[in-house]
Amino acid sequence: MLKVEDLEAGYGGSQVLHSLSLRVGDGETVVVLAPNGHGKTTLLRAISGLIRPRAGRVEFDAMDLTMVPTEQIVAAGVVHIPQGDLPFPEMTVLENLLIGAYRSDAWRARSERLERVFELFPLLANRQRHLARSLSGGERRMLALGRGLMSTARLLMIDEPSLGLSPVVIEQVYAAIHAIKRAGLSILLVDENAEHVDGLADRMYLLEAGVLVREGAADVLLRDQALLATYLG
Amino acid sequence: MIGQEAENPRPWPVPTTGPRAPARLLPATLPWAETNWLGIGIVSLMMLLLPWGLTLVDGGNYITHLIITFFVWGIVAQCWNLIMGVSGIYSFGQLALFQVGAFTTGVLSFSVGVSPWLSIWAAPVMAVLSSLVIGLPTLRLRGIYVVLLTLAFHELLRNWITTGPQWISAGGFGLPLVPRLGFEHVLGPQYEKVLYYYTGLVLFGLTTYAIWRILNSPIGLAFTALRDSEDYAVSHGVDPFRFKLFLFAFSAFFTGLAGGFSAHYNGSASTSLFDFGVMINLLVMIVLGGWGTFAGPIFGTAALTFLTELLRAFDLYRILALGIAMAIIAVAAPQGLVPLCGRTFHSLFGVFFEAE
Amino acid sequence: MLDALLQALYSGVLNGSVYGLMASGLTLIWGSFRMLNLAHGAVYVAGAYIAYGLLSALAWPVPVTFVLAVGGAALIGLVIQLALINPILENPGRDSASLIAALAASIVIQSAILLVFGGQTKQLPPLLDGGFKVGTTLMSYQGLVVIGTAVACLFLMSVFLRVSRRGLAIRAISQNMDAARLMGIPIVPTFVVVMVISSALAGLAGVLLGSILFFTPAAGFTPMLMAMVVTIFGGLGSVTGTIWAAYIIGLMESFVAVFVGPSWAVSGIFLFMVLMLVIRPNGLFGLGEARRL
Repeated sequence: MLKVEDLEAGYGGSQVLHSLSLRVGDGETVVVLAPNGHGKTTLLRAISGLIRPRAGRVEFDAMDLTMVPTEQIVAAGVVHIPQGDLPFPEMTVLENLLIGAYRSDAWRARSERLERVFELFPLLANRQRHLARSLSGGERRMLALGRGLMSTARLLMIDEPSLGLSPVVIEQVYAAIHAIKRAGLSILLVDENAEHVDGLADRMYLLEAGVLVREGAADVLLRDQALLATYLG
Repeated sequence: MIGQEAENPRPWPVPTTGPRAPARLLPATLPWAETNWLGIGIVSLMMLLLPWGLTLVDGGNYITHLIITFFVWGIVAQCWNLIMGVSGIYSFGQLALFQVGAFTTGVLSFSVGVSPWLSIWAAPVMAVLSSLVIGLPTLRLRGIYVVLLTLAFHELLRNWITTGPQWISAGGFGLPLVPRLGFEHVLGPQYEKVLYYYTGLVLFGLTTYAIWRILNSPIGLAFTALRDSEDYAVSHGVDPFRFKLFLFAFSAFFTGLAGGFSAHYNGSASTSLFDFGVMINLLVMIVLGGWGTFAGPIFGTAALTFLTELLRAFDLYRILALGIAMAIIAVAAPQGLVPLCGRTFHSLFGVFFEAE
Repeated sequence: MLDALLQALYSGVLNGSVYGLMASGLTLIWGSFRMLNLAHGAVYVAGAYIAYGLLSALAWPVPVTFVLAVGGAALIGLVIQLALINPILENPGRDSASLIAALAASIVIQSAILLVFGGQTKQLPPLLDGGFKVGTTLMSYQGLVVIGTAVACLFLMSVFLRVSRRGLAIRAISQNMDAARLMGIPIVPTFVVVMVISSALAGLAGVLLGSILFFTPAAGFTPMLMAMVVTIFGGLGSVTGTIWAAYIIGLMESFVAVFVGPSWAVSGIFLFMVLMLVIRPNGLFGLGEARRL
């Protein structure tokens, strides 16, 4: 479904990603593990169009998305849930969710989509009329996920869902991600540690200094304690 | 409730590929960018001898007048370029500071009776003081606030002078009879302009030299750093505020001096110089020549001064044409014509002039 | 005393309405693509002149002409956006380039107006003639029309921003550009919409006020300056704050004019703003963007 080939990207004078290739199949959940600063966020931003790749190719369902503006990438069904959530601070939770359905096909179905999101995240339903900037960290994370779900996404790219959250809230967030997986969406998740991805990920990649160093079935890689220790220790 | 500020950490995605703005520390990329002493010597000699030659020519007096005008506005343009183009401080107060200079010396020499040779020194002093007064509150704030506050200062000053008492402004038009520098008594009236020319040349030369020194000093580096990325500069220990204030006062000094000289040369301090049209003219000089470069404003002022004369008959169309020119430059060549020509020149003739 | 108060109130609300129209446009533009639109005053005055020209040439009914003039102003905004702003959006030197471009646009518009219409003061016929007196204060019907129209338009715009998809998108862009892109919001087309709306509002202000005040080609400068003050006062990027600020400043200005002296009105506001920014740049009315260093 998603095919990334020889992707190179960076900021200003520096190069962050080097000839990176990966793929995400239909309905698959793929996790990319990398320590901080090794290019996880850059990877997602290059795919979603926030930054322009310098070389390489991004293909989704046989559509070439490499140099395409973000608005079309979203229209194609690739939705990026960014690190730091990036909520719209002066808009209410409801407005934040609604704007997630900006694309016209999603907009028409917005009431139903809103219902589904509230089912998944009852917390958000309670805080509908509150301004986004008054939300706690966990609530903002749910808002970001919920907002991503309001669109007609087929591939959800999630950047560090556990960042800055307490263990209890992380549980909730990952429970929601499991639900999203069950609903049939493909997921590309990047994170720093492998704690919660057991049972969630189908395949995994290890990213180091902008290069993918390992790839494999998730359960295999996750059992390899030695590997994980040296890599993420 | 009211006006809660919208948060936006990154207002615009920085293009990560494509051209970057070139560093603008060195003088414009014309062949004599690396100090060509021979070239400077020849030009200086020409400038010194020129006015005498012009007195022999019919209408030469008028050309001398034009050159003096060029000197005056060239100083102001360079100063404004220093703070706006080089250091990125969007101040629109340059003209107001010019007028502070003009009216200070005007009031002192006309209404109070001080000799113009003394009062002219009060002009830069008052201008610097005013710049500090404006600068202290304003320069700590972000770009848009600087625009607004300096525009406000401009309006306030204009209002104050126009509606001021008789000794500042006779009937709202300014001071019509500022005493001149008495050059007509030195060599006779036909050589009067020559002496004004030399005075202007000296002032212009001083300013140009001072600015050139600053641009090529560590301070100049700091300024360019400030303009290109204020956050980056701050994180590297550059204290923006003090630099900005210094720069502001520095440019105010020479602007005020130019104002004072202009008042005595023209024999009047006029409120019409507050007009938006004058400010536009000045801005075009900088933009046309080369925003943020060293030689840009000089060429821009020269070009505009003589263009204005040539197109005097088409005054209305001139302004329209200026506006269109500015628009085209903003879109197509935001760095101005001098760097553009410089690059072309360099690519054609560069091989003859490269130092290494 | 009561008369002076009434006069100040009436002028204040009138001024405030006009400032609201102009300032909300400015704040929308600033919020969306961080540009200080120095051409706003020229568009404002262009609205009045287009109405004048249409009336002289076609002599159609006044309300129709006014609506067309507003459309004309919106068109000018569209041209400015497409020709000058969009091309430079990606440039690194965008901030200064956009300032210059806007300034250039205002010069071109003003000198074009000067060429076509000449420099003498002009005036537009009011939609409604006459007025009534309350004490010594003359309240013209046109003045009430201005206030009514402005309030209605500002209200409509607020609703638009809160409820409609495009309106939400505009607010989203001004609050977080990257996040807005990730929602699939088309950035540049939305900028164009913002510019068109703002220009229409400015043109409307020009048309409405043109029947109360005289206008010349350069008449847009001071109102634009005041609108900028209002924008900053109300919080850059916040439309609600700006509307409130517009009326507050309109009232302040007229109170100063009535009780201190007309020539001090504008200066007084500027002085006040300078003091505000110096003493409490973060405090009042969300001037939170002020401090940066």
